[in-house]
Order: sequence, then C-alpha cells, then structure tokens
Amino acid sequence: MRLNHEAAKRIAEQRGLTLTAALASAGVSRTAYYSLCRRNDILPRTVLDLAATLGVEPEDLLQKTPTSTTYERRLEQARDICARHPGIDFHNVWHTLTLLAEPPIERLRRSLRRGRA
Amino acid sequence: MAAPDLFTKKEEDFLATLVDEGVEFMVVGLAAAALQGVPAVTQDIDLWFARRGDPTMIRALEKAGVSYVPPSDSNPPLLVGEPAELFDIVVHMHGLGSFDEERARAKIVDVGNVKLPVLALDRIVVSKEATGRPKDLAILPVLKDALKVIDGV
Repeated sequence: MRLNHEAAKRIAEQRGLTLTAALASAGVSRTAYYSLCRRNDILPRTVLDLAATLGVEPEDLLQKTPTSTTYERRLEQARDICARHPGIDFHNVWHTLTLLAEPPIERLRRSLRRGRA
Repeated sequence: MAAPDLFTKKEEDFLATLVDEGVEFMVVGLAAAALQGVPAVTQDIDLWFARRGDPTMIRALEKAGVSYVPPSDSNPPLLVGEPAELFDIVVHMHGLGSFDEERARAKIVDVGNVKLPVLALDRIVVSKEATGRPKDLAILPVLKDALKVIDGV
C-alpha cells in the first residue's frame, strides 16, 4: 500500500491548503512525508509477511480505528436519540451505538469477556 | 497471563455444524441480546432447540464432538464436550409463543461465517419480563433502551 501523493495534494487543496501547509499544520516533517512517498509499501514488514503467508491482501488484516470524527458523529447521534426518547439512559444509548459499530461476533465476545471476568 | 479467548473458531464450528445439519434452534437470552448490540453481560450462550434429543440434533452433536445429556431428576439437559463449553440448553422460554412462532420472528445474525437464528430483541424483553426474576428485571432498562436505539438506527 503506497502513500498517494496526488490524493494528498488534491485533498489539501480542496481544504484550501497547500500540501506544505497541511504537513506543517499536522506537525509532519517534509522529510518524513517524502520518505514515506518513496516507499513501495508503507505497511510494516510484519503485516506484509503475515499476509503473504496467509495468502491474503495486507488490507484484509487491517481494521479501521475509530477517529475523533467517528466519536463526534456517535455523540451527536446519541444526543439526538436521547432528545427523542425522554428518560432513556445516555450510557445505554452510547454503549449500544458503540457495539453496533462492531461485528456481532465481537459484541458477543465482549459480553462473554465481561461476564466471565 | 492473558485471558483465554472466548468464542473462537471452535464455538463457531460447533454452531456451523448445527446449522449445516439442519438442527432447528436459536440463540436466546442475553447472548442473543449482545449479538444484536445490547451492552449486556453474560457468562454463557443459551440455545433453544425445537426438539431436544431428536435424531437430527444428536447426529449433529456427534459430528461436532459434543454429547447430549438428557434431563433427569438431578440435572437439566446438558451439552458436554469442549466445543460446547460456552453453551447451555434452555428448556422453557417464559412468556413466549411456541418455538416455531418465535423462530418465524427471529433475526438472522452473521456470526463469523455462520448465519445464526437469534431471538428477536423485543421478544427477549417479553421473556425477561415474564420470568420476574430479580436478575432478569434488573437488565430490562438496558434492553428497552437498546431496543429504542436499534429500532431507530
């Protein structure tokens, strides 16, 4: 998986920034950025080797980590549900929304882990 | 020491065998609620069988490396064997219709590679209300709140 320099430039421009300004704002040095751009694969060797052994694409082994935007959106959704259902417990809403973002098997594992702790 | 993994391929394969062999069953109780997104805690996975001990069920269990211990005066029905350690058999579901009626309303949930029939959340609420046991009544607010969330999402 390569870093898409053109996409980075384009997205920065769409946000009214030059790539240089975006890098500065992100606290990323130009050296570090262009060093990554030159790599054929930015994933760690560990992931690439494991994927090759398992016969899958490295992307198949990756899981998206929730970003602050994910949490902001979830918070907004929880507030909205609470407003529509007076008396509902915010924590129940929040944890349900969090679990709904997980696959069912992971929801079950969490439930069992806590039940057997 | 790290906690042992719960619900691994072993359990998934066990359920897959039941489904593949045509056993009529569904997941009920708080495991069923958790699968649908309820933040509920459980120690085991309750299974409700349409016909406990019938040849289809026994054949599937044998294939999965699990034995069925019928109920007696001193024990409830049990599943014995490593793949079934997390599972319990439910004998009666309080406040609900027949197995076939509830199966018709069940949700099908993808659990790994298995399409698993799971008692619908509103029916779990009904069954918990009907038992009247303190531990079931205690979880009702969580179930009802989660139901509103899930219905609205």
